[in-house]
Amino acid sequence: MLLSLQNIFKWVTIGGQRTFLLKDINLTINEGEFVSIMGPSGSGKSTLLNVIGMLDNFNEGQYHFMQEEVHKLKEKQLAQLYKQYMGFVFQAYHLIDELTVYENIETPLIYKDIKPAERKAMVADMLDRFQIVGKKDLFPAQLSGGQQQLVGIARALIGKPRLILADEPTGNLNSKQGEEIMELFKQLNQQEGVTIIQVTHSERNAAYGTRVIELLDARIQHESY
Amino acid sequence: MIRNFFVIAWRNIFRSKLHSIINVAGLALAIACAILIVLYTRDEASYDRFHTKADHIYRLTADFTDAEGKIKGRNGVSGMVHGPAFTRNIPEIDSFVRIKSEFYSVRVKGEVFAQEAFMTDENFFAVFDFPLLHGHPDAALQDVHALVLSEEVAEKFFGSKDVVGRTLELNMQDSFVPFTVSAVAKKSPQNSSIKLAMVLPMKASNEFNDDQWINFWMNTFLVLRSDANIDRVIAKMDQVYNREAKTQIEEAKTKYDWKETMHFGLQPLLDMHLSTDYGANNGLRDASNPMYSYMLSAIAIFIMLIACINFINLSIGRSMRRAKEVGIRKVVGSSRKQLQWQFLGESYLLTAIAFVAGLALAQALLPFFNSLANKSLSFSYLLDAGLVFTLMVLFFITGLLAGFYPAIVLSAFDPVTTLYNKIRFAGKGYLAKALVVLQFAMATLLIIGTMAMYAQFNFLTHYTLGYNDKHLIEVNIPNSDYNKAKRLAGYFAQLQGVEKIAIKNVGFNYTGGKVDGKTVDFAFDAIDENYLPTLEIPIVTGRNFSRDYSGDTMSNVLVNETFAKQMGWADAIGKQIAFWNDKQLQVIGVVADYHFSSLKEKIGPQLFVMGGDRNYGLLELKINPNQIPEALRQIEQTYRRIIPTKAYAYEFRDQLNANEYEQESKWRMMLLFGAAVTIFISCIGLFGLSVLNAEKRRKEVGIRKVLGASVAQLTSRMTLEFLALVAIALCIALPASWWLVRMWLENYPYRIGLHWPLFAAAAAVVITLAIITVVFKAAQSAMSNPVNSLRTE
Repeated sequence: MLLSLQNIFKWVTIGGQRTFLLKDINLTINEGEFVSIMGPSGSGKSTLLNVIGMLDNFNEGQYHFMQEEVHKLKEKQLAQLYKQYMGFVFQAYHLIDELTVYENIETPLIYKDIKPAERKAMVADMLDRFQIVGKKDLFPAQLSGGQQQLVGIARALIGKPRLILADEPTGNLNSKQGEEIMELFKQLNQQEGVTIIQVTHSERNAAYGTRVIELLDARIQHESY
Repeated sequence: MIRNFFVIAWRNIFRSKLHSIINVAGLALAIACAILIVLYTRDEASYDRFHTKADHIYRLTADFTDAEGKIKGRNGVSGMVHGPAFTRNIPEIDSFVRIKSEFYSVRVKGEVFAQEAFMTDENFFAVFDFPLLHGHPDAALQDVHALVLSEEVAEKFFGSKDVVGRTLELNMQDSFVPFTVSAVAKKSPQNSSIKLAMVLPMKASNEFNDDQWINFWMNTFLVLRSDANIDRVIAKMDQVYNREAKTQIEEAKTKYDWKETMHFGLQPLLDMHLSTDYGANNGLRDASNPMYSYMLSAIAIFIMLIACINFINLSIGRSMRRAKEVGIRKVVGSSRKQLQWQFLGESYLLTAIAFVAGLALAQALLPFFNSLANKSLSFSYLLDAGLVFTLMVLFFITGLLAGFYPAIVLSAFDPVTTLYNKIRFAGKGYLAKALVVLQFAMATLLIIGTMAMYAQFNFLTHYTLGYNDKHLIEVNIPNSDYNKAKRLAGYFAQLQGVEKIAIKNVGFNYTGGKVDGKTVDFAFDAIDENYLPTLEIPIVTGRNFSRDYSGDTMSNVLVNETFAKQMGWADAIGKQIAFWNDKQLQVIGVVADYHFSSLKEKIGPQLFVMGGDRNYGLLELKINPNQIPEALRQIEQTYRRIIPTKAYAYEFRDQLNANEYEQESKWRMMLLFGAAVTIFISCIGLFGLSVLNAEKRRKEVGIRKVLGASVAQLTSRMTLEFLALVAIALCIALPASWWLVRMWLENYPYRIGLHWPLFAAAAAVVITLAIITVVFKAAQSAMSNPVNSLRTE
């Protein structure tokens, strides 16, 4: 078991009324799974992903990640935990505009206090693997969407995470670029055993995974393998 | 990690050029001003510190108190007897040295120069550290006819510095006395209150025999033992005075109706330069006022604050753009602290760039600042560990002030909100607005201060003085009695272009006298019958002096209106006045009040005598305005012929009057530039904010336009929002400046009234500048096509 959520509730209070963003979520994800979270807009997909990614907190319930009781951890320990085990991929790529491809990929290593020589070797490996060595000195604005997302994934992978959290990773891409990205995810999952949780609108993308969780109005509506 | 931060900071600086230029230019200008002012204050504080005994040297002071113990007068000067008597009687006093400034006519190889000299005691060079280029300090003043020249004066007299053993002649009581140069002193440091030119032993002149305790005309410095208790020494000084001056005190009380008590004090040498109570005068130079340091420091702080406020406001305003980066960095593992360091580092990088630019700017502005401040400051002579430390502190404070708050705000962004575009600037930006208000309040304050100073200066220089100072020149003649002075004046009276000529005593004399049983203090002038007509001063009642009345040179006097008013005389003519040697004097006329001294002082009682045993030393010549060059040439020729023993010099009276306000003139310039810099930095800050505001409200403007708002409506709407802030600033600044300016004006007995047009004008200037600053960007954004702003998202 990689992580488990038990009776997770999250709400906001607007005008004295509680609006639930997550309602009684129970979920266990094992290592090596490729999970797709689906559902209509506003059903709580991204919120669930952010709660799992520890970027967002919740109001009630228990969250265990690799034997740690996340709900009892302090901010600093949380940061330590996700820094070590998780990588994030976003729909809008979210690269730092002022940094080159090389520097963007390198950034997580800097925050992990890895020595420069070692960083250089790791980034070089990653560039090689994604076949973007020639683009290493370009800035994000000089790349196509698909290339930017490749850099985004490279950045997520450079820290050797156990879990990749991807929020509509192909949402801004055309279908061909999207397919390439999904193939890459599948490969990572099957060959390297990286656990992946993605949020997606598309049935086709969901089909790359091993399990689908459908959300509706902040609840898990349906699960299928 | 540092490299990564540095890289991103550097790229950010170049990516947003406008923002960087506003920040760096504003900060650099502010830092340049601050550096100049640091130099100024350091120079002020460094005065006289170069003497090795500086900590143990004190100047003798004397206070007068009336019967109630209220201080009536403060005196930084003393007489001949005080130093020796105190040193003899008080063991804590090691030694004394007296300095008296005198002007001599010096003859060198047939040429006559006017030269200031210090008459001093033999141990002068043992007490003060003035290195000698040639000669030995112990021997320099031993011989009665030996003197020391400074290198500049040696150069002036002999064209060389190595002049030990050469001779020159000093005019002492109308005959030239030979002196031998015993030593040449190096040029005195510019931060010295004592500036050497020519130094000779006091014993060289027999004018220095004076046993009076209640007589003040020279500076006495005392060197105290390092373990001396100052309070105890002061107490002992009063004891010595009361014992040794006993008969003199009795005499003053009975004979002159002296009611005051005198107390001696010790002023540390290091306090002298900036002392307002006992200034460095009577031959000591550069007397200053700590007020100037305070005022300049306040301006520096104003300007720095305003520039830092720009930095803060623009950084926060731009935070939208940096929010995404913050979110990403947090997601890939950055802690908040690391982000804070990153942003603080960025502000330090900008500050460093601004600092380098500021240093260069300060260096470039130094000559200009020197002429304003009447200084000759430079980095080289003030450069020491202290200056470097001060500049470093300035750097760190600036970086922190500018970067701390933005670092806190920027690092607080939450990844979920920033990365999912949920970020909303719901806050009204009260802080930014408050800071803009503060900026403009400070700028307005300085503008009003400057305008008030200009108005007051104008008032002082155009004030009716009560006499005509145009085309009036003053020429010094050797001190002479009435008849001799009249004779000398006769030579000049016939010259072409000289319309009128009068004689007068030199300088100002004040004395006291008994009139109708009342004691009055008054200015006391010896004139002749031509004086009042030459200066065009009218007689109010009675008559002017005349040569037809023999009594006029014996016992008749004139008084001014203030004198008569103070005495309560309805008719002053025929009234009796008794003063100094109990002679009875009779008033024959009342002279209209005129400003015989600076307008910074109120007209006091004044009394005129003619002839008698008074000394005359000044010619007043009224020149025909069409013949000025010719008249000047002839006057000089005549002077050289009939008075070969004295160096010729003349001054225009109106120029002398203008010189009285030189300080005001410098300071109004200083304030003008301070105000200009302040308003300039405030406006570039406001401009930056208006750019950001336009950016932030693109969408809002687009929607309003689609709904039918006109360009004019939108422009005025956005401009007025900024003007509201300026209006609040005015509400704060106007009363504050009214209060401050009124306080300042109270230093002047003759001053402008404070009326609303001054404030209205300042407000108009500020509002106009603010409108110019924001209206263009507002109009530009109002004219943009809504399709562009609404299409995205």
